[in-house]
Amino acid sequence: MLRKESEPAATNGASLGGQSSDQGGTKATKAFELLRKYMDDILDVYKPELRKLLWPVFVYSYLDLVREYFTKDAEAFFAKYRNTFERDHPQDVNTLSAVRLPPHLTTDSLAKLYLDNKYRVTMTLMPFYNLVQFLESKMFEGGQALIDVIRDHLNIVTVDRTATTERSIAAILASGQDEDELPAEDEGIPGHNPGHPLTSRHDPEADASRIRLALGPYPLDQDLQDDVRATLQDEDAKNAPRPGQPSLVDEYEARIKREPTDDVPSRDLIPLPPSLARDVSMEVQKVVEHRDRYRLEGTRTGGVGPGVSVTMYTFHNTYDSINCIDFSGDNKLVAAGMAESYIRVWSMDGSALTSPSENAQPASSRRLVGHSGPIYAVAFSPATVNPDPTGPSTSSQYLLSASEDKSVRLWSLDVWQCLVAYRGHDNPIWDLQWGPYGHYFLTGSNDRTARLWATDHIEPLRIYVGHENDVDCVAFHPNNLYVFTGSCDRTVRMWHTSGGNCLRLFTGHTGNVTSIACSPDGRTLASADDMGNIILWTLETGRRKKRMRGHGKGGIWSLSWSVESTILVSCGADQTVRVWDAIQETNESTSKAADGTAAAKADGALTTKGASGAPVTGAKKNAKESGVTADQISVFQTKESPVYKVQFTRMNLVLAGGAYLPRPTK
Amino acid sequence: MSSSVWNPDNVRDVAESVGIASLADNVVEELARDVDYRLAQVLEEALKFMRHGKRTTLSTHDISHALKVLNVEPLYGYESTRPLRFGEASLGPGQPLYYVEDEEVDFEKLINAPLPKVPREITFTAHWLAVEGVQPSIPQNPTASNQADLLPKGPNANPHLAAANGLDNYTVKPLVKHVLSKESQELFAKLSSALLDENNQEWQNAALASIQSDPGIHQLTTYLITFISEKVTHSMKNLTVLRAMLLATDRLLANPTIYLDPYIPYMVPPVLTCCLGKHIGPTSHQAPSNASSETLNGNNINGHARHNFEHFDLRKIAASLLQQMCRKYSASNQGLKTRIARSCLKAFLDPNKPLGTHYGALETLRRVLGADGVRIGILPNLKIYDEVLKEALADDSRKEEARRVLATILVCLDDMERSRGAMRANGVANLENQRDRLAEKVGGEVADHIIKSNRTAVAQAILEADLSMA
Repeated sequence: MLRKESEPAATNGASLGGQSSDQGGTKATKAFELLRKYMDDILDVYKPELRKLLWPVFVYSYLDLVREYFTKDAEAFFAKYRNTFERDHPQDVNTLSAVRLPPHLTTDSLAKLYLDNKYRVTMTLMPFYNLVQFLESKMFEGGQALIDVIRDHLNIVTVDRTATTERSIAAILASGQDEDELPAEDEGIPGHNPGHPLTSRHDPEADASRIRLALGPYPLDQDLQDDVRATLQDEDAKNAPRPGQPSLVDEYEARIKREPTDDVPSRDLIPLPPSLARDVSMEVQKVVEHRDRYRLEGTRTGGVGPGVSVTMYTFHNTYDSINCIDFSGDNKLVAAGMAESYIRVWSMDGSALTSPSENAQPASSRRLVGHSGPIYAVAFSPATVNPDPTGPSTSSQYLLSASEDKSVRLWSLDVWQCLVAYRGHDNPIWDLQWGPYGHYFLTGSNDRTARLWATDHIEPLRIYVGHENDVDCVAFHPNNLYVFTGSCDRTVRMWHTSGGNCLRLFTGHTGNVTSIACSPDGRTLASADDMGNIILWTLETGRRKKRMRGHGKGGIWSLSWSVESTILVSCGADQTVRVWDAIQETNESTSKAADGTAAAKADGALTTKGASGAPVTGAKKNAKESGVTADQISVFQTKESPVYKVQFTRMNLVLAGGAYLPRPTK
Repeated sequence: MSSSVWNPDNVRDVAESVGIASLADNVVEELARDVDYRLAQVLEEALKFMRHGKRTTLSTHDISHALKVLNVEPLYGYESTRPLRFGEASLGPGQPLYYVEDEEVDFEKLINAPLPKVPREITFTAHWLAVEGVQPSIPQNPTASNQADLLPKGPNANPHLAAANGLDNYTVKPLVKHVLSKESQELFAKLSSALLDENNQEWQNAALASIQSDPGIHQLTTYLITFISEKVTHSMKNLTVLRAMLLATDRLLANPTIYLDPYIPYMVPPVLTCCLGKHIGPTSHQAPSNASSETLNGNNINGHARHNFEHFDLRKIAASLLQQMCRKYSASNQGLKTRIARSCLKAFLDPNKPLGTHYGALETLRRVLGADGVRIGILPNLKIYDEVLKEALADDSRKEEARRVLATILVCLDDMERSRGAMRANGVANLENQRDRLAEKVGGEVADHIIKSNRTAVAQAILEADLSMA
């Protein structure tokens, strides 16, 4: 097949004449220029909404050019306008710039994503009518081409301005001036309705409220509950609670005996093995720790958040070979997965790690060798500090590791040997999590699937398919009933653990999702991307709660929630540990609420900004780059150590792990 | 002109190398574009590996893994554990050529060279990155530089947060980043001046009482600790100040409302200094040298006549403080005891240190480690120490000091003996007979004193302890 541009030259140029000038690149450029000019001329109030059209029109115009084999025109068109979008869509711009031949469209995942789906944009009625009117009047000056693009590739949903407060004039004024132009959560590729139980492709008519989530805690089986209560009674009798301190039994009742709600999942859906003495001990210890924890709730006076304590474990002489770190639940062990295919486990207090099977001098660290590729995730099985030294051991028994060699391995921490290798994934495995009560675990892989496994089955129990790209991170809901996956297709999905169907799809990230964590109360999900954004989602409605900015670029490697679900800590490649208030409403969320104060504030902001006039764009850019949202409680910088892992203990102390990587002196 | 990043000439070269002599220009361009695309694909995949390796530099391994995932045979021979360094050469104006720097290695030299050093083992250290929301200023944490950039700004930002991080004033950077109420600041000022007031004993006592019982002191803990360590460093000559600081430390430890565990590592050094310092008290203290007594002139001896031994008392107080800390906080502070013991033992075994230091070290060892420590740490070293003692006892100017050290050694030995429980004093009527054996173990001077004071049980303990070790 020959390129389209060469045709007029090959045949008689004159015969095509006027028509050829309106083909390919000229046509696209003309249409795009028309749109840009229109954006500049239109009323300020409409601008934020209409501006959203530029990016999809740009992408689809370009892809159409590529598809129709106007290779050179496509390149010229892309080069001309890419600067406009580089700030907001740096990765897409980069990826698309390599796509230049029709065969690439069928192989490149991003191009395919755009072409197979309609890009959804939500608009209020007035700007939409205005736009249609304008395009019709300019039918022969590029309007037709724009109408074609919009018809073929865009899905414009019109909403009534008064219907949703977030689109009210006040809200637009409030946000319009210094809003970072990140896409709204309901805008973008998969074209779903926010909070929709299924993607629109499956069932466009479905309604989020039709699927109710059971977010309550997982019910423990009755025998276990009775055993725990009996043990706690004994404990209370032995050590009477200090004055002002509730007894352990009361504490337990308060935790368990919440209003019997209908949102408690059934045990039959996610069965667990019968409980052992070890489980009783662990539950007892959890109650004790819960009572004696450092309380982070209710200390918010005058806005200063509660003081969080962070212990930092810094690894030295690593030569950047540590890929992942995990701390055991009893705070006794720390494991690191290495790029050199082995795992190393240390005892945190330097005591010896003994094994019954060998007589060698026990050391305070051990290597686990077995994988044949870099280790990308390690995880200790659930554990607690042992409440009763004479009782059953409650330390971590197993360690799971996921590797580039496509296998997951289960290691025994008693004999320090590999017990099982779970194979099933087709590509490197990126992440791994234990279920909240052990037994089950979840993996996410480069083969675009997440899989659920049980330790006693060699085959995966469920496969969660739907992501358009690698599943980079996975997490369990604390009640075992749901799992979450984050992907570099920039979406986060929520799946029913046993049903295997996708229940929620969260879009709004602009970078690859690098970490997700569900709050202990099961109501909120936090997800972080490598552009430095953390987004909180309300699971019930499936809507975005707020966006928290502050981290630098390069990935937020880990998130962790405090016991009370009020505080979130995050850490990442920018060598900081940050503490966030998950409750406080910030600018963004208040403007959504669009109450009177926000509108008043917006007016003030508008006048001052308006006076400064021209340099608004420059200032805006700076504001975005160094913007830290107001709900960041504190930030702790480390000394040249990227932080790989943060973890709240059950007593609200934060453990952080990172490697000291001094910059080369030369 | 082609717009592909990949040089089309390169495509032509490859075509020629596989036997295709001439390629049409548009084909070359097309292929170059395709190469671009494939490379972008590989890079995209490789970046995923970099991201999951939690790195910020792409390595050759990432490319190999990416090729593997894309079902392409990886390139062998480019494995490197650290990022490659690229050399740059110029082919002409604006035409840089990059190449991998690949040194030529002389095989002979390589074989004969000594083996390279074994890389250091991966280890980890733990420290407090934050204590109750405030980052402590310790060497493991970075110095607070441009913290302002990291915090929320703008009208919606919470002013308290900035204040809490010491940023309520953008022009002047306060030294401390901790919000402190007016009252607390006032209290701190009062406390510090009261502690240093030598003339008003009552006021000082009031301050000490406040430190011991006031829950509000919690806010000031870091400030007090810094204050103490500063004063100790700067007033080694002033016994009154040192004593006041030790008392303040003592009271702080006694305050039941303060959670001191994370601060202990910062409280130990000033106390240890008071305990082991070379020059403590007025300057007339003897020069710390192993110079023999002949070098001392009359003046010095006169000085010694006036010299009092108050600093011994101070060292004793310090030692008891260390004992307290070890008892209360060694569970939460890894290796606290061992660290203290190690510094003391080192001080004790250094004959160049003045006797005062030896005294402090012995006193601390005795208190911190107990009888076992004495048996393992002190007893085997007494023989060597005998030299020092003898020399000091012979020297008039140091005689008094040496006596005190000797007394402490005897107390140590007494402790050791007592810990063995009730002793049956059987058949040890004649200590004199054992003198030589004792001297063998603990040195002549000590042995003489044991005999002189008729410590039969002690002697037996020494001899038995020794047997058990042999």
